[in-house]
Order: sequence, then structure tokens, then C-alpha cells
Amino acid sequence: MIRFVRDVVRVLTLPCREHVVLFSRQLDAPLSRGEAFGLRLHIVYCGGCSRFRAHLSHLQTLGRTLAEQTENEPGLPADVRERLNARVARASKKN
Amino acid sequence: MTEADGPTRVLPNAEPAPVASRAADAREAAARRWVVEHGDILWKFALSRTRSKEAAEEIVQETVLAAMQGFGTFAGGSSERTWLLGIAANKIADHFRRVRRAKSPSSPGISPDATCGCATCRGMFTEKGMWACVARRWPDVSVSEAEKSEQAGALRACIDALPPGQSEAVWLRDILGIPASEVCKAMGLTDTNLWSRMHRARVALRSCLETKFGLRKEKGQ
Repeated sequence: MIRFVRDVVRVLTLPCREHVVLFSRQLDAPLSRGEAFGLRLHIVYCGGCSRFRAHLSHLQTLGRTLAEQTENEPGLPADVRERLNARVARASKKN
Repeated sequence: MTEADGPTRVLPNAEPAPVASRAADAREAAARRWVVEHGDILWKFALSRTRSKEAAEEIVQETVLAAMQGFGTFAGGSSERTWLLGIAANKIADHFRRVRRAKSPSSPGISPDATCGCATCRGMFTEKGMWACVARRWPDVSVSEAEKSEQAGALRACIDALPPGQSEAVWLRDILGIPASEVCKAMGLTDTNLWSRMHRARVALRSCLETKFGLRKEKGQ
């Protein structure tokens, strides 16, 4: 409980420059419960950070669309596959 | 003669293969399996980044050969596919470093720290770390698939403009959705390295997209 409160207070007293770092990190690693709660409280009254977080989630949506587009592209062409297997065989003989 | 004697009857004169030859066979078999199981994703990744079939082919070949050399060093902890994608990511980054060096020593790419034109501001923030400019609302992507697809195209162009190493991390993490811990292992980064690389990349992508959406003027305009 003490750690939770300490983390909330620490996050609330940080400048927005540090908040955006935390918003980004949250996409890669879980924050502590206090840090996550502090950020949620902060965006209630901070338009800049609220918009920044919306932009990050917009980027994630576009990333998923790009992933789908890439998934639908054709795979390894037959001639490239053939040359690749030949190169593997040559490398295997060399070693 | 009993059933248990079967194998000696089938190969009466067979001698065990030398250890080195068995290892080479195992390596080749693994490489052939990688081509079958992961060749498509490696190709799509390399082609998406380089947009050149020749360069993509070279990268996929270099990736598989490097993986063969490192055969046995794959320690698990991440999937074999992520391991191969990590090798490919480093090969792609090397490719772009070579290309950019050959093209121009000071290729500008996109600014990682977009400015709003305020004299005392450092990038997006004032000296005290507060927002220097009001962030704008972005065009809604939920209205149409065409809009979403167009914006995804803009994102692709922005990723291409990121510095080598950042764009590959973005592809692995935010496009292919590989967990951060696996991206770290695959690209040889610490957690902190990856977080700061991803943050710089996302800020730069945000700024680049705003320019493409016409919400922000390029520096100096």
C-alpha cells in the first residue's frame, strides 16, 4: 500500500516529458500498479498526455493493419527458395 | 538370431558417421527446415523493409547462413522464428547502414524530437518539461478501411525513414507483435535499450505521421 501511494505521488509530480516515456514503456513492460494508476489520474486533467496516449494507440492500430497487409503479401518465391537451398548445401559442404 | 539383431542384419557393414559429419548434417537439415517453416516470414520482413527483391534475397540468405554458423547457440527462451527474425533484423539494419553511408553521410531521415517552433522549447516540451504545443486530433481510422489502409501506408513510409536499428525494432515489436523480452534477446538489447529505442521511434513516428496528415509543418517551413 505504501509503495502504491508512493508510486502514484511520484508519477503525479513528474513533468509531462516523463509521462510520455512511461506511456511508451507501458506498451513494452507492465508498470507498477501505482505508476499505472498515477498515469490514469494524470490524463484526466492533462489534454496533452491524453492526446499523446491516443496517438500511441492509433499507431498500434495502424501497426496491426500493416501486419495484415504484410501477411497477405506473397511468400518466398520458388526461384529464391531454390537458390537459398543451394546456398545452404554449399555452405554445409564447406564447413 | 532374434528380433533384436535386426539392425545389424540390415546394415551389417555400417560404420558410425564421424561426429563432425553428423553435426554438419544436422545443421543442414535444420537450415532446410528453417527455409520451409520460416522462409516466408523472413522474406516478407526483408522485402517489406527493403522493397527490393535482390536485397531481400541477400538478407534472407545471409540470415540462414548466419543461423547455421550459430547453430547450437540458440538457447531457447524465445521461439526459433523470433531468433531468426532477430538475425534478419540485424542484417537489415546493416544493409541500411551500408546504403545510407553510400548515399549520403548525413541522411536526415526524420527528426526524433519534433519541434513546434517555440524558441525556448526542447522538442515537444518546454524547458520545464510541460507540453509546448497542443497535440491535434488525428483523422479517424474507424470510418473506412480505405482511410485505415492509406494511413498504414503513411506509417510504412515513416518507419522506412527511421534510423537503422529503430525501424527493425518497430517491425518486430509493433508490427509483428513479438513480446518485448523476445525482441531484446533476438536483437541483443537490454530491456532499457529497447524501451528507449521504442520510445524514440514512436515519438518520431508520431511526428512524421502528423506531418503526413498535414497537422504539422516540417521544421524550417
